[in-house]
Amino acid sequence: MPIGGLVAIGAGIAVFTGIGAGIGIGYAASKAAEGVSRQPEASGKITTITLVASALAEATAIYGFVIALILTGKIG
Amino acid sequence: MDKLNNVLKANDIFNIHIFGLNIPISDSIIVMWIISVFLIIFAFVITRNLKTIPEGKQNFAEVLVEFINNFIKDNIGHHWRSFAPYLGTIFLFLIVANIISIFSIIPTGEELYKITGLEFFEHWPEFAIQPPTKDINVTATMGLMTVLLVLGSSIRFKNVFGWLKGLAKPSPIMIPFNILDYGTRFLSLSLRLFGNILAAFIVMELIYGLISPVVPAFLSLYFDLFDGILQAYIFVFLSSVYIAEAVE
Repeated sequence: MPIGGLVAIGAGIAVFTGIGAGIGIGYAASKAAEGVSRQPEASGKITTITLVASALAEATAIYGFVIALILTGKIG
Repeated sequence: MDKLNNVLKANDIFNIHIFGLNIPISDSIIVMWIISVFLIIFAFVITRNLKTIPEGKQNFAEVLVEFINNFIKDNIGHHWRSFAPYLGTIFLFLIVANIISIFSIIPTGEELYKITGLEFFEHWPEFAIQPPTKDINVTATMGLMTVLLVLGSSIRFKNVFGWLKGLAKPSPIMIPFNILDYGTRFLSLSLRLFGNILAAFIVMELIYGLISPVVPAFLSLYFDLFDGILQAYIFVFLSSVYIAEAVE
């Protein structure tokens, strides 16, 4: 049985980590909007924190992407 | 598939023979040399004949230095002065390194051959200005430098016994996890930078292949400029958070 196809499916599954990152960033953004609407004068600080938090949440998706890249290198 | 592998593997331009060693020089190293030269010249030009009352380019330099100093001061606390120069340098370097692909105006050998029809260009080494941070060797070095700095500053500011005591901080059961923490910090720092820049690079290459005119320019604003600057900021932010944790 050729293993290449299974490896490709595995690479596809690895990119499912994007779901977690999407939920995380969405949650951070919604809370940021809430925070700004409550306290518009703190918007500068909230923007910075949101950007940093989004980038941190994004890291999980990036790990999945890196795993997928490693796996695609193994397809015959 | 072949194109993806070409993106991933280091593209060696030429070799240096020294002390019987054969050191391959890849294009990411050459791009980093270019960035270093650019930053050194930039620093010399911008800080020439400084005055008490700033004007022109000195305003820009002061805003830049003040921004970096305040950023480090907010994160690290009263030891900030020892770390501000290093972290500021890393910040500037990473910004230029991440966004350098928007300056890729040098045509490749193949394109020159097509335009001019000269035989000479056919064997031109394949060199394109691409972000060096899409090479995992570069980002791994960056992550290693940060982790070594965290380790060194922890020993320097708390001396060896304080550092050993800090390893067993919440309770002695945590010692293996605290040691493991250095490895995971190194991995997460280097892989985050590498993955983001490589993903942005691949997406931009796909877009260039799909739709040529106008549209890539706007998407490049996000994928090259915004993402690159944000990732440089994140890297320096996380480094300073780790250092702050180490020296307190």
